[in-house]
Amino acid sequence: MNNHTKTAIDAIKRSPFQAISAIFVLALTFFVATTVSVLVYASSKSISYFETRPQIIAFLKNDLSNETVNVLQNKLTNDIRIKDVRYVPKEEALEIYKKATEDNPLLAELVNPSIFPASLEFSVTDLKLAEDVINEVKNEAVVEQVGFTANIGGEKSLGDVVGRLKTISSYVRIGGIVFVGALGITSFLVLLIIISMRMTTRKGEIEILSLIGATPAFIRSPIIVEAVIYSLVGVFTGWTLSFILWLYVSPSILSYFGQIEVLPRDPISFFMLFVIILGVELVTGFVIALIGSLTAVKRSLKKVR
Amino acid sequence: MIVFQNVTKSFGSINALDNVSFEIKPGEFVFLTGSSGAGKTTILKMILREMLPDSGKVFFDDKNITEISNHDVPFLRQQMGIVFQDFKVLSERTISENVEVALAVSNTPQEEWSKRVNHVLKLVGLSSRAKLFPSQLSGGELQRVSLARALVINPKLILADEPTGNLDWKTAEGIMELLEKINKEGKTIIMATHHEGIIKHAKHRIINLDDGKITKVK
Repeated sequence: MNNHTKTAIDAIKRSPFQAISAIFVLALTFFVATTVSVLVYASSKSISYFETRPQIIAFLKNDLSNETVNVLQNKLTNDIRIKDVRYVPKEEALEIYKKATEDNPLLAELVNPSIFPASLEFSVTDLKLAEDVINEVKNEAVVEQVGFTANIGGEKSLGDVVGRLKTISSYVRIGGIVFVGALGITSFLVLLIIISMRMTTRKGEIEILSLIGATPAFIRSPIIVEAVIYSLVGVFTGWTLSFILWLYVSPSILSYFGQIEVLPRDPISFFMLFVIILGVELVTGFVIALIGSLTAVKRSLKKVR
Repeated sequence: MIVFQNVTKSFGSINALDNVSFEIKPGEFVFLTGSSGAGKTTILKMILREMLPDSGKVFFDDKNITEISNHDVPFLRQQMGIVFQDFKVLSERTISENVEVALAVSNTPQEEWSKRVNHVLKLVGLSSRAKLFPSQLSGGELQRVSLARALVINPKLILADEPTGNLDWKTAEGIMELLEKINKEGKTIIMATHHEGIIKHAKHRIINLDDGKITKVK
């Protein structure tokens, strides 16, 4: 074992309560950070779901020629605000209806394709553009009616749907950032205080080391290693607790949100999401430990020398 | 090896060193004597670059150490072994770990540690105490730990600041015998002391200080 690591571990063993408090605060920070990161991921996935699925259906008038439909389809395809344009003929519309009413086959038997209008389904590149696009498509001569499929929380108007999605997303992001930021600052200060206390208790040792020729790097290395150990153990603890929590609740969440894949359904992708979060948190934890310990060491060495 | 040229140092109105000049050659054993506050420790602190003179120059191996950067100070100190009156051992480390610290500080490869630590502990007669902690040792033994730590890095120069100050006569004699032995192996030793018995008994060159001035060189 490296000499500095051994010194750091000995120091941790000598003051277990300082170590526990540092690790506890850091674990809490990274538990919340992991949880908020997953919430941000889930909210962005739900926005992405509504942004990428066919949101607008232009129901066409009956008995239109293929050429007339093609003209409108091409026009929509060439519009940079619109994507994924798809023609749904009457027969396919019936199939969709049958699938939607498969619990009650009698309903499907009572209808024939002629009562379903053909339609053009498409998405908009940004939900903000939807209202303008719908109004323009409504004015097309071949269009009977225009429907908007995104509808959460019972909102009727397009503005409400978009607004609610954006508000939820921004609440999660801003709230998460503020909360994690406050906890991050607390963790930094706790590390600073604990390392400063360690430096004070080691004042005599530092003086001796300095007199026998220890470089500043030699003196601060065990202190930095100690802070990094606190930080990394805190990251792993917080991340593991959050991972267990999400493993436990994810089946219920996925079931509640239905076809909206707010969390990866595939176990490997689910695990990869958490591995990425862990990677980012390890780097963040390392940086907090490094800056915190270097600041404490710098302040303390100034007093000693 | 050590040259002081017109070194002056004041602390407010008190002259700690007043235009002090002397030279110590390699392999010499020199006593710095004088009453408390005469300037003995100030001289040792300047050689260690723990303190800078107000004026004058201090040379170590022909290099003016008053001009070296703070970055180079640790490397200067790594060439010296230091023995303190109050031992300055690390209370939370064992005796062998206390000696190992000096090797770690001087970047000695870890494979050599065990051999060198065993050698110096044997030299100072503390092999059987290697695994004990400082609180389990007597004053004389702690001073020998301090000496072992100074010797383990094989320094060119040993600075001893009142190494017998806290010891009884018999224990002090033991420490002096060790220092004599080390000096005979070619190490330069500068020892600050006001222990008359030791000075008379040892018969080495003496630089006597009084109120920061050299009053006599024998």
